[in-house]
Amino acid sequence: MTQSSTLEAFRLADSFLPIGTYSISYGLEQFVNEDRITEADDLQPLLETYLRHQLGPADLVALRAAHEAACDADLDRICAVDRRLTAVTLAAELRTSAQQSGERLLSLQRDLRDEPLLDRFDDQIASGSADGNHAVVLGVTTALAGIEQRTACLLCCHGFVTGLLGAAQRLLSVGHTDAQQILADLQETIADVVADSADRSTDDMTPFAPSIDIASADHERADRRLFAS
Amino acid sequence: MASNAPHPSFADYATEAVPQASVGSPGKDGILRLRFAPTDGRTALVEDYARAPFHLSGTLAHDPHDDVATVFVQSATGGIAQGDRHDVTIDVDPGAFAHVSTQSSTKVQSMQHNYGAAELRLSVGQGGYLEYLPEPTILHADARFHQDLSVELAPESIAVLGDIIVPGRLARGERFEFERYRTRVRVRNRDRLLFEDTTHLAPEEGDPTAPGLFGDASVYGTLFVVAPERETDALSTSLHDAVSGCTARAAATELPIEAGVVVRALGDRAETVDAALHAAWDRARSTLLGASAPVGRKC
Repeated sequence: MTQSSTLEAFRLADSFLPIGTYSISYGLEQFVNEDRITEADDLQPLLETYLRHQLGPADLVALRAAHEAACDADLDRICAVDRRLTAVTLAAELRTSAQQSGERLLSLQRDLRDEPLLDRFDDQIASGSADGNHAVVLGVTTALAGIEQRTACLLCCHGFVTGLLGAAQRLLSVGHTDAQQILADLQETIADVVADSADRSTDDMTPFAPSIDIASADHERADRRLFAS
Repeated sequence: MASNAPHPSFADYATEAVPQASVGSPGKDGILRLRFAPTDGRTALVEDYARAPFHLSGTLAHDPHDDVATVFVQSATGGIAQGDRHDVTIDVDPGAFAHVSTQSSTKVQSMQHNYGAAELRLSVGQGGYLEYLPEPTILHADARFHQDLSVELAPESIAVLGDIIVPGRLARGERFEFERYRTRVRVRNRDRLLFEDTTHLAPEEGDPTAPGLFGDASVYGTLFVVAPERETDALSTSLHDAVSGCTARAAATELPIEAGVVVRALGDRAETVDAALHAAWDRARSTLLGASAPVGRKC
């Protein structure tokens, strides 16, 4: 990877990136509201489930396929994997969050870069032929920036975990050191799920986390909500 | 034949010969074909074919909705054994209303060789209505089971699909001792995939009771109400209300591209999960058909 690709990866992994991550908890808020997550120690096993059963077998597979298609400038394949990711994401709030942060990332990148593929992808989303899921937009973005596929997957996991840890800090009393400890302890899990995703075809996108789906569905109707999901 | 495995995780099992009655011998390859069509103002079963272990004894007409024909599929064996392959096709012609269930739970037996598998293809013609709500699947210790359910929906049609997994003979303390369970539901509308849902559990490879998965619960149920032309946002709220007071933890959410609603439920026992899904099914029927769900026991 060139120096500019590496810097671009740091920029995209930074929680400073304005794509609305601060408003997303992917159901974590509901686990806290129901007192099923009460302290820092409860967080790590749940984050492992998110990584192993949701992000790894779905988002990362889509990211890799979108990355590959973007390298070939194949917009049809990008749109196909985008629609497929939507079709296997059954909790409505998880879909909405993924599409909102995806659209913000796409809009940001179109402001920063002159890339016809991003404009054409945006047209497809506007016409309803694609949904602009975050993982897919990130796959296209990283491919165009010369960030290699595996690094893009690591970046996606890092961004996801830091986002949820940020949410946890606002919902619970989780100290900065606790959050960093969890992030460091999850490195092995992240390496595992990134490696596993390389062996999957887009036909094998199989997120499965029933408790998270139920929490997300309950969150849709929760009275007290800090987060959009 | 390894190349026939339904998924790479089943490839090694597929190479194992079955020592007793082999794959494909009588009683191992169950075939079921059902076709429902409107005749004289109500739905009739116009085609039926059942090869062992499947058995049919005609339709029932006890449904609160006058047009619904009901079939309870019976099995002549004690469940699904190693090497069993089931092939099920259910077609609902335009304008027909059908309810298909099983007579009792499907027990997936312990296995040492090969695996058990079922492939189901359902289609619903224009304006048709199909409920496919089998009794729970019980996964005995060392069971290996693969199921593929695909559904094709014509415009204005509706499908209600249910599934409950019991991870062992819970009363004898058997829980998550099966080897592998993988099931995939795929629903298409014309040439578009509406949604796909895969459950893949292999307790030795990953703990199903981890937080975010089953947690403290044992039994998992899902009900899909697929009705792309209906007001699915309101239906989602209504079904969520219907299950919110249930003993099982259950919730409803809208399916992708407003295709319908999925209700998921987790509970300690099959009865509580069944009760939650029944409440959602009853509410969905009242909204979509204007008739409540049938009550009463099967046996």
